[in-house]
Amino acid sequence: MAKAFKYGLKGIRGHLEPAERELLRSLFDDVISMLEPEERANEDPLAALVGLDTDAREPSDRALRRLLPNVMKNDDDASLEFRRYTERSLRENKIGALKAAALSLDREHLVLTPDDARHWATALNDVRLVLAERLDIRDDADADNVHLMQDWAQAEDVESYLALVYNFTTWLQESLVQAMVHSLDARR
Amino acid sequence: MTLSVALGPDTRESTQTGTVTSGDVLTAPDIPWNLVIWNDPVNLMSYVSFVFRSYFGYSEAKANKLMMEVHKKGRSIVAHGSKEQVEQHAVAMHGYGLWATVEKATGGSAGGSGKGKGKRG
Repeated sequence: MAKAFKYGLKGIRGHLEPAERELLRSLFDDVISMLEPEERANEDPLAALVGLDTDAREPSDRALRRLLPNVMKNDDDASLEFRRYTERSLRENKIGALKAAALSLDREHLVLTPDDARHWATALNDVRLVLAERLDIRDDADADNVHLMQDWAQAEDVESYLALVYNFTTWLQESLVQAMVHSLDARR
Repeated sequence: MTLSVALGPDTRESTQTGTVTSGDVLTAPDIPWNLVIWNDPVNLMSYVSFVFRSYFGYSEAKANKLMMEVHKKGRSIVAHGSKEQVEQHAVAMHGYGLWATVEKATGGSAGGSGKGKGKRG
């Protein structure tokens, strides 16, 4: 069973069982492959180099749209224009955090620097956002229903399995954020 | 937002009294854009508050107040600035996984509250 993250003299420490590390690795990998931009044949290499993506579109997948939202509520044109300049680097930053978190899973005992912790927190958050879309969590009542699912013995279908995974990542992120808050307090 | 049920509420006593408010010290009269954070049922309340503290440098008290406003009213204006500044903040918030948009400020210096209350995006 995983242990909650704790802040101490050596930074933020955590402990995960092998099966939990495998689970997290596959979740991180899934979100990475969602975020990886498609290779395009006729792409202008210079534009790609400066992060410009003239073909960027608002994603059709709900989960991806939540990870890469429009910057303006009621102006799709302006949002699209903004997306062309920013989405590629946003994707790359998210992928970077997910890969960094996945890398640290090679060790049983986690010791996280402040940067590692930030990567972990955003990686877990992105995983939870994707799982929440798959679980159709639209409001607080939906979220409460999913929280009721706590017993792995009851996992009999994909939905209940996803709910358990969601609750595990929620618990893990909450414990990590508490440890990060303690480290923030300690530094002030 | 959601409060994790797995861990109890953080019972640590806070010794912070809220003196740090450096992130939003724009004083020019022509600062017509707002950064808005929207509520969602996934992001943890503790995480949202942590992001406000660590990214904007807000005090614990201010970060919690803004977080509760997002949670209860559905949205909160958490920063003001030029269009470029709030757009930069928005990208940073998207990096953290928070649901952020930018909008033109309407009518004077609304100090981080008020408009669009109760709306759920």
